[in-house]
Amino acid sequence: MAMRLEPLPYRVGQFSSGTLSLVVVLLAVIAQGLYAFSYQLTEGLVVTGMRDVGTMSGSTWGLYIVFDIYFVGVSFAGISTAALVRLLNLHHLRPVSRMAEVLTIIALILAAFSVLPDLGQPLRGIVHLLKYARPQSPFFGTFTMVIAGYLFASLVYFFLDGRRDAMICAARPGRLQRFYRLWAAGYRDTPGEQERHRRVSFWLSLAILPMLVIAHSTLGFVFGLQVGRPGWFSALQAPAFVILAGVSGVGLLIIIAAVVRTALQAQDRLTPEVFRWLANFLMVLTAAYIYFMLVDWLTMTYAAPLHESRIAGALLFGPYARIYWPSVAALVAAFYLLLRQFLTGRYRIGVAVLCGALVNAAAVGKRLLIVVPSQTHGAMLPYPTGAYSPTWVEYSVIGGLIALGTLLYILFSKAFPILELPEPGQEVVRR
Amino acid sequence: MRTTLASVTALAGLVFAATSFALALPLRIPGVAVFAVASAESGGVIPYLPAVFILGIMLMFLAAVVYELLPDRSQTPPRPPAGFGRRA
Repeated sequence: MAMRLEPLPYRVGQFSSGTLSLVVVLLAVIAQGLYAFSYQLTEGLVVTGMRDVGTMSGSTWGLYIVFDIYFVGVSFAGISTAALVRLLNLHHLRPVSRMAEVLTIIALILAAFSVLPDLGQPLRGIVHLLKYARPQSPFFGTFTMVIAGYLFASLVYFFLDGRRDAMICAARPGRLQRFYRLWAAGYRDTPGEQERHRRVSFWLSLAILPMLVIAHSTLGFVFGLQVGRPGWFSALQAPAFVILAGVSGVGLLIIIAAVVRTALQAQDRLTPEVFRWLANFLMVLTAAYIYFMLVDWLTMTYAAPLHESRIAGALLFGPYARIYWPSVAALVAAFYLLLRQFLTGRYRIGVAVLCGALVNAAAVGKRLLIVVPSQTHGAMLPYPTGAYSPTWVEYSVIGGLIALGTLLYILFSKAFPILELPEPGQEVVRR
Repeated sequence: MRTTLASVTALAGLVFAATSFALALPLRIPGVAVFAVASAESGGVIPYLPAVFILGIMLMFLAAVVYELLPDRSQTPPRPPAGFGRRA
């Protein structure tokens, strides 16, 4: 009689009809994005809403750069959470560690893909960056530290951290057994190997954290060092980028953790305590960003030069007010809800998820307000005021990228346990 | 052995990253031979230095993989199961 094999935990390798339907929808959105991108490649950037600054009263950076910054920001929470769990022994957050690592890697891939459609000749752009990028340009840092260094460091951390679970998965016959064996790379979970991994993870975390701050600050410097562009030139850009990155990343991590908790019925691993930690973390980061926002608001309205006050007017009362005020309201509402939970001590996962969604909507809005108004309303020369409105091509490409990220996340969770497998002696999860 | 190899990998990465970064800086030293390889198109900068910088950063993090994947010298191979390799 054939022996019945126990399935891999956390529904690895199992596709429900709901998941398959979602995959089909995501593939359709990706196909639409690819069509839009190919249309843009053949017709040129004129099919987007982007136009030259000044002479054509437009904005050369639009939705693609907005989402590039957003995706890089989201990646912040992933690896920083994983590194902090390791460095500070935050055992409560241990179950979200792998989810966070995957979030970082996928978000960085999406960030790299977001830049490509912004270039008229993507291939030429990549080759020339590798050939001629100058270290005195913030783009050098963004390209080398964020896309290459940060992504590679995250991949190394992720690979080493997953070897133990890969070894456990490799012990069961299946189509992916060879993949698991390759990932485990001879790992046998001996006390010596455990100690070595603990040591490596500690030092890797220690190396990743400063690199992470440098990478996100460099992205802020892309704007903050442009002296000829009112609204961008500010010492606050780099730290504000780091904080907003944390806000959007932790918010998204809360949402993903809640979805995984429900989808995999992992209430025993993703306990309310996990969400309490994440919600408090989000509350502190949101408070810090609101402070930055107030300082920025006071500076630009108090006694700003003419060009700065023109941008302030456009943001607060002009064409961008319909994005500015909802973004501020979303951030303040999220902070209020999180603070109320903290003060009363009554934490609800639904409220944390709502706050995660609110801060992410606000983060996209704030990114747009950082990128666009300084181009349309910040000309130092006497050009007319510009405008920017994305076209279906840009929406389709960004939609395709978000769908690609979601698809990659789902496929990964079906190929490998998205939650770390329990330690020996703990209850083995059977799903 | 493992520690040595990991250290060499990290050090090589550091050397690659630091050297390429320094050479890519806009410091012009007239008559220095290294700048002879730079073309007019590159504006006096040696091509592919950013790629070498990226390689250096990657090597530094790869040192962690080298350290963790290489076996211990004292590590004994797993014992084969009873009866394995014996003739019937």
